[in-house]
Amino acid sequence: MSSTQAAARLAMPLVPSDPDVRDPTEPMPGQKALIRNVDFFYDSFQALKNINLPLHDKRVTAFIGPSGCGKSTLLRILNRIYELYPGQRATGEVLIDGENILAPGLDLNLLRAKIGMVFQKPTPFPMSIYDNIAFGIRLYERLPHSELDDRVESALRRAALWDEVKDKLRQSGLSLSGGQQQRLCIARAVAVQPEILLLDEPASALDPLSTQRIEELIAELKADYCIAIVTHNMQQAARSSDYTAFMYIGELIEFDETERIFTHPKQKHTEDYITGRFG
Amino acid sequence: MASEHIVKAYDEELRRLSNTITEMGGLAESQLAAAIDAVVKRDSELAAIVVEGDAKVDQLQRDLDNLAIRLLALRQPMARDLREIFAALKIGSDLERMCDYAANVAKRSIALNQTPPVRPVYALPRMAHLAQLLVKDVIDAYVARDADKAYSVWTRDAELDEMYSSLFRELLTYMMEDPRNIGACTHLLFMAKNIERIGDHATNIAEDLYYLVHGTPLTEARPKGDQSSLEIITPARSPE
Repeated sequence: MSSTQAAARLAMPLVPSDPDVRDPTEPMPGQKALIRNVDFFYDSFQALKNINLPLHDKRVTAFIGPSGCGKSTLLRILNRIYELYPGQRATGEVLIDGENILAPGLDLNLLRAKIGMVFQKPTPFPMSIYDNIAFGIRLYERLPHSELDDRVESALRRAALWDEVKDKLRQSGLSLSGGQQQRLCIARAVAVQPEILLLDEPASALDPLSTQRIEELIAELKADYCIAIVTHNMQQAARSSDYTAFMYIGELIEFDETERIFTHPKQKHTEDYITGRFG
Repeated sequence: MASEHIVKAYDEELRRLSNTITEMGGLAESQLAAAIDAVVKRDSELAAIVVEGDAKVDQLQRDLDNLAIRLLALRQPMARDLREIFAALKIGSDLERMCDYAANVAKRSIALNQTPPVRPVYALPRMAHLAQLLVKDVIDAYVARDADKAYSVWTRDAELDEMYSSLFRELLTYMMEDPRNIGACTHLLFMAKNIERIGDHATNIAEDLYYLVHGTPLTEARPKGDQSSLEIITPARSPE
């Protein structure tokens, strides 16, 4: 790389990949994760084809695309949750802070503590609100009671749920409304102090007000985390994210700043999708 | 326009938006043509028709605004669709203003008809013809979503500016020669300015169209031919 190119990189560390300017497969400052030449297979079916993409730290990256395009699959690679299912495998590299998390021998429990995930359908454990949060913390740390209480409170506050549940911490997590349950799951994810948050359609089962609460929460949480969100709601992607990746049939068609994707994307295919046209 | 939306009613609404702009553009052309006809023929009745006709354009602009607001609220447009609606709103207000200028030319012609004809009046149709051509071309460019054609309108406005500058000087000379010309020449000066402004609005439309097509604004400096605002007016000699 020439010194001019190097200077250009340092000057704009958060600008997305532009093939004319830089090589998207090279790590850059400000990037938390770098997905490099990733393919994914469900047995012999190839669901992702040569994906290259950065995830910037303290920024939100949205993944959009029609059903079956591979966006949730990509999210599931980031914490290797796919390994729970036989026949699923990923090749290529996912560098998180420079370390390839797809490499064999990696401690998956530590990886998943570093990378929290929230799913489309709220999945509270059938236990008290308090224990829903404390459960994950206890897995990784032995804390004195008072400190555990503090951590539970802080996680619930981060998820903007504390005021609503502080007087009923011993009630079942399942007694909460859908929107509250989803915020409980977000609290559970942030309680173990992860570095990356993966949100797979976190608001698609919620009413508009709960959705807005989740979006507000995402805006607050991004001050501390690298966030990746899969959503079918394009307005939500436009409102909540800094970068957007458009995927189609297992390929990354376009990745750019969200504002650009939604005002004038480079690829016709992206334009057709976001404007609701036949592709 | 680009390929069709999955929701057909959306296409229909965007088409209506576009057709309203085209209709307003047609009216801007015909209002200006009729206003100049009224000046040349000293036809106050025709002038009055032009003045009354302005209400129709105002109504079309209100319809356009309502339709655009409805589209923004109900369809939450993105990318090209968003630019279509944004451009339509801006172009609509430019066309409405053009028609105001045409009506003003017509109104002043009624006053002008009360005084004997002055020679510089013959320069007005030439100016109006060019302005009309700019309006026609920019609307044609809009219909074809042709940014190159829009760009050509954008550069050709300098010619209209130059015509205005030279008419400005000619009118000044007339006024200096004989103060009895001042009334008629002042009206003519405003009429010429109105026509010159129509050209400016055509360039605004060209810029909006450029943005609509390319998604980036036209940022270069526009060539300008009107130097009259820098002119220092001093009578050659005080009358004896």
